[in-house]
Amino acid sequence: MSVSRDDFSIAFRSALLKRGGAQKFSVLSLIFLALIIFFLDVYGVKFTKPVRAFINDVVYRVTFLASTPTRFVPQLGKDFTSYINVRKENENLKIELEKYKLLELNVEFLADENKNLQKILETEYFNKNLSNILLAKVLVDKNSPFLKSIIINKGTRAGVLKGMPITKDNYLVGRVVETNYLSSRILLLNDLNSRIPVTLDQGAQAILSGSGSNKPILEYLPEDYEILENINVFASGKDGIFASGTPVGKTNDKGEVELFVDPNQLSFVTVNLNTIKKEDF
Amino acid sequence: MAKNSILNKIYNSGPLILLYYLCISEMDTNLEKTFEIFTLNFQIILIYFWVLKRPDLMANGHIFIAGLINDVVMGFPLGISSLSYLIIIFVGTYVRNKSVNTTIASDWFTFLMAMIFSNLLFFSLLNNFSDISFSYQKIGYNMFFTLFMFPIFWLLFNVYQLTFIGNRDA
Repeated sequence: MSVSRDDFSIAFRSALLKRGGAQKFSVLSLIFLALIIFFLDVYGVKFTKPVRAFINDVVYRVTFLASTPTRFVPQLGKDFTSYINVRKENENLKIELEKYKLLELNVEFLADENKNLQKILETEYFNKNLSNILLAKVLVDKNSPFLKSIIINKGTRAGVLKGMPITKDNYLVGRVVETNYLSSRILLLNDLNSRIPVTLDQGAQAILSGSGSNKPILEYLPEDYEILENINVFASGKDGIFASGTPVGKTNDKGEVELFVDPNQLSFVTVNLNTIKKEDF
Repeated sequence: MAKNSILNKIYNSGPLILLYYLCISEMDTNLEKTFEIFTLNFQIILIYFWVLKRPDLMANGHIFIAGLINDVVMGFPLGISSLSYLIIIFVGTYVRNKSVNTTIASDWFTFLMAMIFSNLLFFSLLNNFSDISFSYQKIGYNMFFTLFMFPIFWLLFNVYQLTFIGNRDA
């Protein structure tokens, strides 16, 4: 009995303390070091924030470079297919161009009318200051089962602040949750931690909650409210962060929201610098 | 002779290079886009196998740094992945110290223990010391598929070891 207890303690101690050969550090010393780093990071001691921001910037750039081969191979396939289809595509594009030329006049008229109506209503015109819209490239889009986020190549140097909304083609994508000097992390709408106030076509208010899957769900709807299919969902702007009326997605038959922008297919996004002037959280 | 020695060094560094690459690159082992529930923690399979079979190829310090890189890329608090990987090393080394001959079945069972301890620590720390929420269902799927895929990678790594590194195992 005592022999087996001795065996256990020897094996246990050896696993924790053994060094030598390739092992320059014992497991126990590294566990202590990891714990110290963890608590320094979690409790945000003053000097850790800039250090973490610097490490983030460096690692994100290296990640971007290291991921080039994994991005290059699928892109090569796409490029080859599009090269083969280029003639047909050119014809289609010519037809589409003619169509859009006709539509342009209509759009111009409607945009003027919309501006005038907004002036009458004294509401803020969403796109009045296009210089405050910042285009950013997606550096890292690592698919994690637990966190749905992306890294963009714009940080505090370009004026990005925590909480700023992120859009693609004027559709809402997420918001900034971490800023570094040269990069930022965006929490996508489908992340489990994402909650935004939304309004539905018929005027009902709700909270759009990320479910971890590609389709977020609607919570806190009015009592006895029945979700119908194909109802447009917009940001309500009640949080003062997201511009009211920014399109988010459409409801499906299961009551989930199908986002207008596929969160797995982001390569460029826009940051709306208008909304937040100071980081206060 | 010199050429062979360089090649051997490259082959021996293979698992460590793979670990670093998995941690730092966009490449992931989650097929959520095609099969929604399939997620896999490949890093812990890699670490456990090589710590058990050839610990001289997987230095603790390198695994610790790979964990830190993983935290930065994934957006977790720094040090949490390192801790979880160190638990895997600890269990792996303990099993190696206690056993003479290992089989795929014994490795599979002890891997389950290592994964439970490691994930328990990882998610307890994440739950208590950060604002990140996570789905227990996803953790369950992740653990199940990681465990399920272990024998497949065990065989693949064994083939790699026998072909390129040679069996100097105890």
